[in-house]
Formats: sequence, structure tokens, C-alpha cells
Amino acid sequence: MNLFRSEEDARRWAEFVPGSEAGIVTLEQALAIMSTPRHRQRFDGRYVSSSPNYTAAFFAKLSEVTGGSPYWEPPAT
Amino acid sequence: MADVAMLDRTYDFIMKRLIADGRAPHHTEIAAGLGVTPDAGRQLLLDLMAVGLPNWLHPHTDLIASFPPFNNQPTQYRLGVGGEWKWYAQCGLEALAACWAFPGRPVEIQAPCLDCGKSIEVTVKDGRIERAAPATTRFYVSVPVRDWRANLIYT
Repeated sequence: MNLFRSEEDARRWAEFVPGSEAGIVTLEQALAIMSTPRHRQRFDGRYVSSSPNYTAAFFAKLSEVTGGSPYWEPPAT
Repeated sequence: MADVAMLDRTYDFIMKRLIADGRAPHHTEIAAGLGVTPDAGRQLLLDLMAVGLPNWLHPHTDLIASFPPFNNQPTQYRLGVGGEWKWYAQCGLEALAACWAFPGRPVEIQAPCLDCGKSIEVTVKDGRIERAAPATTRFYVSVPVRDWRANLIYT
């Protein structure tokens, strides 16, 4: 889970995995992914007890931000 | 396993210390902060790490390694707030999420590009990218979300 100076840098990286192009997103997309209660509520004093309630919103945001890309789909339950 | 209210307090204590000091507390500090014995503090830490949140200890120790958005062990993602550079982010994604730990304040991220080694600088505040140099900066994760948990440390 790393930052690169450009998409071309990410694709040239020695550890780039062929077929994982969908794993490259803009900073704005990445920040949107990290802006649900799963990440914003870590500082409210009740995170352990409340964090299970945040999972659905996080996965919904992943789907929204990435246009429903299968690469960003949650694990099957 | 400790009750969830005590785990909430333990989590909150660790997070607040990370924000204030830039480092995670030892379990004896957790114990002192929560008013329990050192051994009980250690057990609270172990119980917290067993909950399933993406936090972890250094292998074979009871020392906190990672507690997102922060990393206690230095990473390439340095975080600066108000001119202080005493934090590290768990990863490139969590570096962005660190803005939620410092509401109303710009969080500066400095990191080298893993491909070319040149600098990346990003400033984020309250969920907005204020500056990115270069503007073409991208985030990349090499495994799909369904495999994140199995590859947590290596993604």
C-alpha cells in the first residue's frame, strides 16, 4: 500500500504485480476510501466496541470510489 | 479476554499517546495510565491485539509495531504536523487517514517513491488534499481487497 510519483512509476516498480492495474488510484480516491467512520472514529474513545458497525460503510465507499471494480470488492462472507 | 469497555479504554490510551508523543506506549505505561498492574496492562495489550483490528506487535514481543494510522516502527511515510516530524504512517493509505488524528491542522506527508526514489510530498487536512508534489502522485496496492487481511503486512 504505497505512494508513487505517477502511475508510470507504480507500473515500473520492481514489485508491481501484472494484472493489478486496478490497484492504482488517485490521491483523491485513496483519501475518500479512508474517510468513512472506520477511519474517522478511531479517536472517539469507543473504537473497539463500535468498529464492527463501520465495516459496511467502508466497503460501500470502496465500491463507490472505484466504480464497482472487482479488485476492490470485499471478501465473501 | 478483557471486557470491551476496558479494551476501548486501552485502545484510546494508546492512540492518544501516539498522537501526543509520536511513539506507542510500553505495556507498563498502559498499566500506569489505566491504573492496573503491569501484568494486567500487558494482558490488555495482548487482548486488544487479538480483537482483529489491523494493529500488530513486533513478532515474538509485547511491543507495539503498528497501530494505524501510525506505525511505531519507522516506515518511509513520515508525518509532520505544525513543524514536528515525530510520526510515521503504517502505509501510504494510512498516511492520508492520519489527517483525522489532527483535526483542523495540516498533516504533511513525506515519502520516497519506491520506483525512482525521488520525493513525494502531500499535505492533507480534514479529509482534503491541500497539496501534492508531484500532482501525478498515485496510490497503489498490489493485492485485491479480498486478500488484504492475509497480506496485511506486505500489501
